[in-house]
Amino acid sequence: MSVLEVDNLTKTFGGLVAVDDFSLEVDEGEIVGLIGPNGSGKSTVFNCIMGLYDVTDGEIRFNGEDITSDSTHQIVTKGLSRVSQESNPIDLYSVSENIRLFTLPNSIRSLHGGASDEEIREYAARIDIEDKLHEMPSELPHADVRRLEIAKSLATEPELMLLDEPFAGMNQAEIGALAAQIERFREDGMTMVVVDHNMGGLMELVDRVVVLNNGDFLAAGTPAEIADNDAVQEAYLAGEGL
Amino acid sequence: MISTILLLGTVCSTVTGRIGRVAGTLRRQVLWPIGRTLERLLAPIDRVLDPVADGYNRSLGPYFGEMSGLQFGVIAVSVAGLLTAGTWAPMVGPLLGGGLLRTLALASIWAIFAMSWDIQSGYTGYISFGHSALSGAAGYTTALLIVHVDPTLSIWVTGSVSVLAALVVGLLIALPTLRLEGPYFSLITFVAVLLFYRLTTAFSLLGGIPGFGQPDVFTWDPMVRYYYMAIPMLLIALALTFMARSNLGMILIAIRENEPAVSAAGLNPTKFKLWSFVLSSVPMGIGGVLLVGFTGNVDPSTFVVVDNSIEMIAIAVIGGMSSILGPLGGAFLFEVLNHQVLHGYSTPVRYLFLWLIVLFVLVFARDGLFRAIWHRLGAVRGESE
Ligand SMILES: Nc1ncnc2c1ncn2[C@@H]1O[C@H](COP(=O)(O)OP(=O)(O)OP(=O)(O)O)[C@@H](O)[C@H]1O
Ligand SMILES: [Mg+2]
Repeated sequence: MSVLEVDNLTKTFGGLVAVDDFSLEVDEGEIVGLIGPNGSGKSTVFNCIMGLYDVTDGEIRFNGEDITSDSTHQIVTKGLSRVSQESNPIDLYSVSENIRLFTLPNSIRSLHGGASDEEIREYAARIDIEDKLHEMPSELPHADVRRLEIAKSLATEPELMLLDEPFAGMNQAEIGALAAQIERFREDGMTMVVVDHNMGGLMELVDRVVVLNNGDFLAAGTPAEIADNDAVQEAYLAGEGL
Repeated sequence: MISTILLLGTVCSTVTGRIGRVAGTLRRQVLWPIGRTLERLLAPIDRVLDPVADGYNRSLGPYFGEMSGLQFGVIAVSVAGLLTAGTWAPMVGPLLGGGLLRTLALASIWAIFAMSWDIQSGYTGYISFGHSALSGAAGYTTALLIVHVDPTLSIWVTGSVSVLAALVVGLLIALPTLRLEGPYFSLITFVAVLLFYRLTTAFSLLGGIPGFGQPDVFTWDPMVRYYYMAIPMLLIALALTFMARSNLGMILIAIRENEPAVSAAGLNPTKFKLWSFVLSSVPMGIGGVLLVGFTGNVDPSTFVVVDNSIEMIAIAVIGGMSSILGPLGGAFLFEVLNHQVLHGYSTPVRYLFLWLIVLFVLVFARDGLFRAIWHRLGAVRGESE
């Protein structure tokens, strides 16, 4: 069954068509790669799904339920979560408090609810930052800040996680480790969509790749098929290649 | 021309460079040694109080914030001082120009205003320039009830209705504005208080400039009056500290620092901002009712003028925004300076001086005086010696 269905999504900014009649379906337990050159509309698709942008046209369903006009916090509560392209931890809070914020109930009456220290440690351990819990985000190296973003997302207990360029700025060893962790999330039953602008980290990881170009659907297939696809090659010619 | 500018530039940079060096020397040669000496003197006290503080931390710490031994001692002494002011203030007062109990009563009211402002503006970062509209709503409601409905109504009736009125005005301001971005929110609160001010002066129904003299003061006994103001103030401080140290405080600060992250955490920012306005409006209303009982007069310049709103902000800034207890301390500092230390000067001179202090704090101690002192106290470690 499809967990996520994006039907004929269109998003314009003034005269600019950022996403043009784009559709995507994600099945339970899948890892789908969403790739495309810079500015092709990948983050915009995520922003529309997460309710950050009002969609211009189209419909988005999560587990069969229309979430097109829900607000972000409602969508998160339903089990969708996004790791954004830019890290934005709260600098005043430690790593553990940043994670804790994401476990708090959406209720003004829950004054002392939320995850226990033990549960926070478990979220952190799933992405290997459990030994950084008491550090401040500004003291962390780049790769750990990115891991913190993922830990925050995990803390909302999502069923489907959208990861926007999780590998950006990481070295080869870090990419390998992160890919292995993402693989483990899948084994734990999580469905994921991973955005990247090239195939590098995705080749081994994803079941299926969807390619966006200038806001348009360009191609879809297995990683191997996409690597051989002429239209995709051409779209990337202007950029740095697959 | 260019050479003049260059010359000026050189002069300026030399002068500021020198000021910077003097400040640096001052810090190294004067402030640090004083700090170290103080620390040496205070460390034993911290050591003695640590067991008591530990007991507090284990039982109440999770609800009101953890404290070191010294911090616990300072809070205990301050609370004891406030509770016993009725006996010592009349003796100390004459050294400071007299009328100390009156100043402390007034400071209690302003502490309520500044703490109420803080839980909404200081915590969420949605800065309200119009909080005096809330206390004003309460004050005018009390006056109108007494003048137009029944002069014999009990304070419990007029007080409750007045607090409700503050809440209604708060929600009227908050509901349409909290979805707006910070600056628009601030401007609208500012306009709201200007509107309210003009309303009170434009219609004789609302008393005009002289306002209403009919409400009675609570009492003429300065000592009793002080406790009428100080006890509610301490209870409000307790309640707001409890709220601020809970999840709610954490979420409100997160809204200030990064509102999209709060949404991404599955939390509805609008709901929490609205709730912070409720938590702010109710004590603002209580403060307004107390101010009626203090002055016995409800008029625009005591209750509404935008200067009042700005003064609440100034007090919160001096003490340390988003800490509740900082604004409380700020209120006592501000009022004692205003009415005791500077009592010999004319009002404009006093305010000139007070605003300079606000400016000084904004430039040199942006986190507030009392927060700085608090952290300094927390850094004194009795145990490690
Ligand atoms: N808030 C916005 N306002 C106006 N234009 C926008 C906005 N967000 C995105 N765009 C435009 O929409 C297009 C798609 O941008 P988007 O960020 O979705 O691309 P992307 O595929 O994520 O690119 P990248 O690989 O650089 O992250 C770009 O032309 C971008 O300039
Ligand atoms: Mg992007």
